[in-house]
Amino acid sequence: MFYRRAGIRHTRYQDERQLFPLRFDRGLILVVLALLLAAPFLFDRLYVSGYLLPWLIWTSAALGLNLLMGWAGQIHLGYGAVMGIGAYGSVHLVRFGVPLEIAMIVGGLLSAGIGTVFGAAALRMKGIYLAMATLAMQYVVDFVISHSSAISGGTLATLQVPPVRFLGIPLAGEVPTYYLALAVCFVVTLFMLNVRRTSFGRALAALREKDYAAQILGISTFRYKLLAFWVSSFIGGAVGAVLAVTYLRAISPDQFHIELSIQILAMIIVGGLGSVLGPFFGTALILFAPILLNNLLGFGANAFGVEMPIDLRAHLPLVAYGALVIGFLLYEPLGLAKIYANFRNYLLVWPFRHAQR
Amino acid sequence: MDWILLAELSANGVFVGLMYALVSLGIVLIYKTSGIANLAQGAVAMTGGYVAWALGARAGLPIWLAVPAALAGMFVFGLLMERLALRRMIGQPIIMTIMLTLGVEIMLRGLLPGIFGASVKRLDIGIPQDPLFLGDLLINRATLIGGSISLALIVLSLLFFNSRFGVVMRAVADDQTASWSVGIRVERAVGVAWGLSAVAATAAGVLWGSNQGVDWSLSLLLIKALAIAILGGLDSIPGVLVAGVIVGVAESLATGVLDPLVGGGSRDVVAAVIILVTLLLKPHGLFGRHHIERV
Amino acid sequence: MSMDRRSFIAAGSAGLVAPFAGPAQVFAQEKIVRFTLAQDFTRIYTFVTSEYSQGQRDYFTLINDRGGVGGYKIVADVTDHANDLPRAIEAYERGKREGAVLVDPLSTPVARALVPRALEDKVNMITAYSGRSDAADGSTFPYVLPLSINYWTQAGLIIEHFKKVEKGSLKGKKIVFVHIDTPFGKEPLPILNVLAKKEGYELAVFPYTPPGNDQSAIWPQVRRARPDFVIFWGAGVGQTVALTEALRNGLPMDRVSSSVWLSESDMDVVGREQAKGVMKVEPCVGGREPKVIKDIVAEVVGKGKGAGPENKVGTAYYNYGVQMATLMVEGVRKAAEKAPNGPVTGPWLNEGLRSISNFTAEGLLPSTTITKDDHQGGGMGRIARWDGAKFVPISDWFSANQDVVWEEIRKNSEEFKKSGK
Repeated sequence: MFYRRAGIRHTRYQDERQLFPLRFDRGLILVVLALLLAAPFLFDRLYVSGYLLPWLIWTSAALGLNLLMGWAGQIHLGYGAVMGIGAYGSVHLVRFGVPLEIAMIVGGLLSAGIGTVFGAAALRMKGIYLAMATLAMQYVVDFVISHSSAISGGTLATLQVPPVRFLGIPLAGEVPTYYLALAVCFVVTLFMLNVRRTSFGRALAALREKDYAAQILGISTFRYKLLAFWVSSFIGGAVGAVLAVTYLRAISPDQFHIELSIQILAMIIVGGLGSVLGPFFGTALILFAPILLNNLLGFGANAFGVEMPIDLRAHLPLVAYGALVIGFLLYEPLGLAKIYANFRNYLLVWPFRHAQR
Repeated sequence: MDWILLAELSANGVFVGLMYALVSLGIVLIYKTSGIANLAQGAVAMTGGYVAWALGARAGLPIWLAVPAALAGMFVFGLLMERLALRRMIGQPIIMTIMLTLGVEIMLRGLLPGIFGASVKRLDIGIPQDPLFLGDLLINRATLIGGSISLALIVLSLLFFNSRFGVVMRAVADDQTASWSVGIRVERAVGVAWGLSAVAATAAGVLWGSNQGVDWSLSLLLIKALAIAILGGLDSIPGVLVAGVIVGVAESLATGVLDPLVGGGSRDVVAAVIILVTLLLKPHGLFGRHHIERV
Repeated sequence: MSMDRRSFIAAGSAGLVAPFAGPAQVFAQEKIVRFTLAQDFTRIYTFVTSEYSQGQRDYFTLINDRGGVGGYKIVADVTDHANDLPRAIEAYERGKREGAVLVDPLSTPVARALVPRALEDKVNMITAYSGRSDAADGSTFPYVLPLSINYWTQAGLIIEHFKKVEKGSLKGKKIVFVHIDTPFGKEPLPILNVLAKKEGYELAVFPYTPPGNDQSAIWPQVRRARPDFVIFWGAGVGQTVALTEALRNGLPMDRVSSSVWLSESDMDVVGREQAKGVMKVEPCVGGREPKVIKDIVAEVVGKGKGAGPENKVGTAYYNYGVQMATLMVEGVRKAAEKAPNGPVTGPWLNEGLRSISNFTAEGLLPSTTITKDDHQGGGMGRIARWDGAKFVPISDWFSANQDVVWEEIRKNSEEFKKSGK
């Protein structure tokens, strides 16, 4: 019925190797894509610029981090700093009059360059030690950004993003900015879907499982660890640029603190480590659960007169955020992607549950 | 160069470092027995501070009763944290356990201010505020007393490791499987380590809380504590002591010497730089044990 | 385990779907003005927000119970944005969709991110004691309204007061400025530097690491600098720690001053007796004496409609909240005078807010006049001293060094104009 496999026969190797062999999957993705494309005309502005836009941006970032953590198995607690480098680099370039297209790429390269330094630590250490090293680097980058007024932008420490164009279209209002974010997210997703089918992706997987073993198999851990950091930081930097230009519009150092790093980390944990679909779910949950809970509490207070102390009410979303992370780790460590996979597997054979696979 | 200033900063740095070391003691205890880096240690310290405040100000206990009660309560809290959350994570990748402790951190940081109110709470354990002069040198009473208490507690935990149960815990730290096979109850040892680490955190939370007031910012003790734990070696208690003094003095001097040069508060970044340099030069810290990895 | 997992998923999805219900239309039939009061209750601004918000809500209750203002009732949506931009922007967009004409984020990072949006959407944004100081320049920031003395003015007021204490000259004196090492903490520096040249005092600056829970290495240096006056600049925990460290270093309290961010609860933490003598800038009257606060006590809190614990009524931050609420309501009144039948839009309220003149809220505020150019309201404040039980004013309402302040405001707003449009 759903996810029908009957009648799908591959006669060529290319068919067998396509990304989505099931027609239902392809259809589903096309529908979602069409919805996303039409979103600015279907939904209210609140949902486009308050929900969809941050969702796309944060998802792109989470995908970038997932390449490093889910594929290559390298822990990174400083991804927010990496995004900050990209954001600051590109906004400065844009302010100098460099076109946004180039500024984004240069911002990405800048992040990749500095991000690879983070990676250099990974050559010597792993696990908890790598986590600590990246955490420390987050603080160092924060410090450098906020203490050089040339970078952070004067006494008020706010860098205004000037009006910019992307491919000739002025990025003003919610529609063009939304499409830029959508395009970037689409490119990143496509890259992530394909990377695991390349030798690079397989090398990363080997690295994740056991780096010594990978080395014995002839995979240069030196090269691939650095490459993983490079690619992931490049994505982070480019997404940081998009974040600054389309969403924040004025950047200040505190936007790229450790909280952002932990938030993105939580997104891929809740979504599912090493999954492409996961970050989409995880981002939605981590970004919006506090907002929805907040609105629900407000609604409850208005409609049913459920009064609770404002301190408690205000802190509940934070508690929920923590509880979500803990709950997923304890009950579904593979995240929302796994829940979706369970659901899909169930429907794959439905209604003939006991049929042989 | 103002030598007296440097001497004064160093003296205060030693005591402040010892107070930070008390938080790292918990991290080390846990890492030693179960190999988990507990990133919730700062939040547990905050919880301890809140509990002590609540018992004192809300429940009306005198402070000499409220603090021991809080310590005892937090021991149970540590046991529960291990039993309910961390034990289920055995066998999961490291990132999962790190993330779990971060989740606990976030949750505690929401829960306690939510219940008790977000404003800063006064926790008075009776340390006088007046300045104490030794000649031209000013010694900060609060850090002097706080640091001495920390020192006493850390030494106490060193002695504890020579008791019978301490030996059991050392065995667990050495090799869990081997301990199991000779009849040591590994889970119990790990649980007690978590309980003790919560006790250390609570002591730190109370000391810092009396210094700065109790609110969510107590959870920020984490980064300093991590720097000390890493520098000392994640599994060494004497390391905590030495590294605590080093980090405290380095930070204190950095504020005196470095701040005017970089034009900003370099305190936190000193901790970060110490972590980085240690990891790059001597990943297992000053006193940590080297691990041999097998494929 | 499978049962666990299933119920976990069920609970999770129920939690997700439920809140899509819209907000209740409480005043559907009446003429209303909607404010979005999305503030930071949980992250950085915890020390002020709950009291500030309590004051605002109590005042709105007072006004609504009296039948509203100019025929309009005030609807205030209070939410938490946790200093987190996605949440703040969502709250802003949601408020805008529901017809909110005013937003009060009470957070510098959020205000800075909302500035371009508010200017574009013509939504009035209140940035009391937060946000960009240069927003006082109304010609550049028509929809950003601090409505209160910014940090530059506060620094100017403190220096002027010191000058008065020293009988008119600060020449050769030494002033130490201890500040939290964030953009907010560094903000007064340009003014202090300019005034140092003008007045001839020597300025020494000591930054501490945010949030300032450990300043033990800073204050020995302050003591050794042998300052004539100390200004400490921070918020929340940094303030109380600064004061305790100042005490421990034996600095005389009556020579120490801070900005508006010092409250009774800070004094409780430091110790009410020990902190005797410390000074702060008061932007409005504290305590329960002003008529507005008395009215609130009688008509709102007394009837059990108070928005929070009764003992917080009349604290410094509570009164700041009332202060901002009175200004907002006064703006609505003026707007309703000009165009009684609305429509209630951002520009409608903006007209009202920017024509507030000589407003004192029956003795709560210094005389405040907002014009199209000056969003600061005249730059009046006073210095108050802690006497062990409350803050007692030791000066009249005064304004000082506004020439220097406005030079800085113009310089920064020019910069904004250049890069903005």
